[in-house]
Amino acid sequence: MENIKIEATTRSPEIDFDFGANKFLIKGESYPEDVATFYGLVIDQLEEHLSSLDTAEVSFEIELIYFNSSSAKVLMGLFDTLDEVAKAGNRVTITWTYDEGDDHMQETGEEFSEDLEHAQFRLKILET
Amino acid sequence: MYKFREHLREQGIMFCYSGYMTEQILTGIGDAIKQKLEVEEADRKTARSVFSVFVEQVQNVIRYSAEREVKEPSAEHKPGESDQDTSLRYGVLTVGRTDEKYFIACGNFVEQKDVERLRSSLAHIQGLNKNGLKALYKEILSGETPEGSKGAGVGFVDIARRATHGFEFDFTELNDGRSYFCLKAYV
Repeated sequence: MENIKIEATTRSPEIDFDFGANKFLIKGESYPEDVATFYGLVIDQLEEHLSSLDTAEVSFEIELIYFNSSSAKVLMGLFDTLDEVAKAGNRVTITWTYDEGDDHMQETGEEFSEDLEHAQFRLKILET
Repeated sequence: MYKFREHLREQGIMFCYSGYMTEQILTGIGDAIKQKLEVEEADRKTARSVFSVFVEQVQNVIRYSAEREVKEPSAEHKPGESDQDTSLRYGVLTVGRTDEKYFIACGNFVEQKDVERLRSSLAHIQGLNKNGLKALYKEILSGETPEGSKGAGVGFVDIARRATHGFEFDFTELNDGRSYFCLKAYV
């Protein structure tokens, strides 16, 4: 599958999906005009790729400054998908990076991770 | 105009917009709010909360205001496309500060038939504590998107979680089958 690289804009995050290395990154701001248009295709491709994996090492990095409630729904779905992939026998690590002092981001990261049963979750503080 | 400006100043209002809301307006005002908060040296958490409530409020107007102009569908308009793309929706927004608290207030018309649902949903959210809000937030996010929702249907909960000093709301019933809905959140 062809890698996906999308530059960040004021309202949408950088997306860097390296399917060969199984390294994935979502970084920046996330309040796109239309969440379904922005995330729909990339998430579909991601899911298709992940479902084909078997005993792979998957690293997913999320480094968001701000996301709106529509984006939260996408993130929640992503966590579910990644947990399923881990359940299927892959080693999945999700790294949630937030700015030092941003308790809200820390809390939401922790909340999203609460339902994970198979994937590993790491919180990382970005010191500024 | 000077009197109007003075009135806004007395109310602590830094930003005031009344008109049709578009995504471009959200981007522009949002950017100005960020800059203003930076100049004021608001702490990061406060600044992000104010910005976040602003985004959810404005997106509510863009998606749901009952005062709207329906644009002619463009040539590219596909059947089944949401009417969000073909409607210009009207709303009023103010952002300001009083007594060391920031406030973000939004007002727009809503259909009378939606008032009870909105009122009970907001009253329920208002009665929840931190943990209750968190549970409802997750419940809505992991469930199916509610009927009639164009986003995740979790916007009010998100506003409540960010509004560290609470929020208030009001519906003024008009005699044309609509009500005027106001929501003011304090950070």
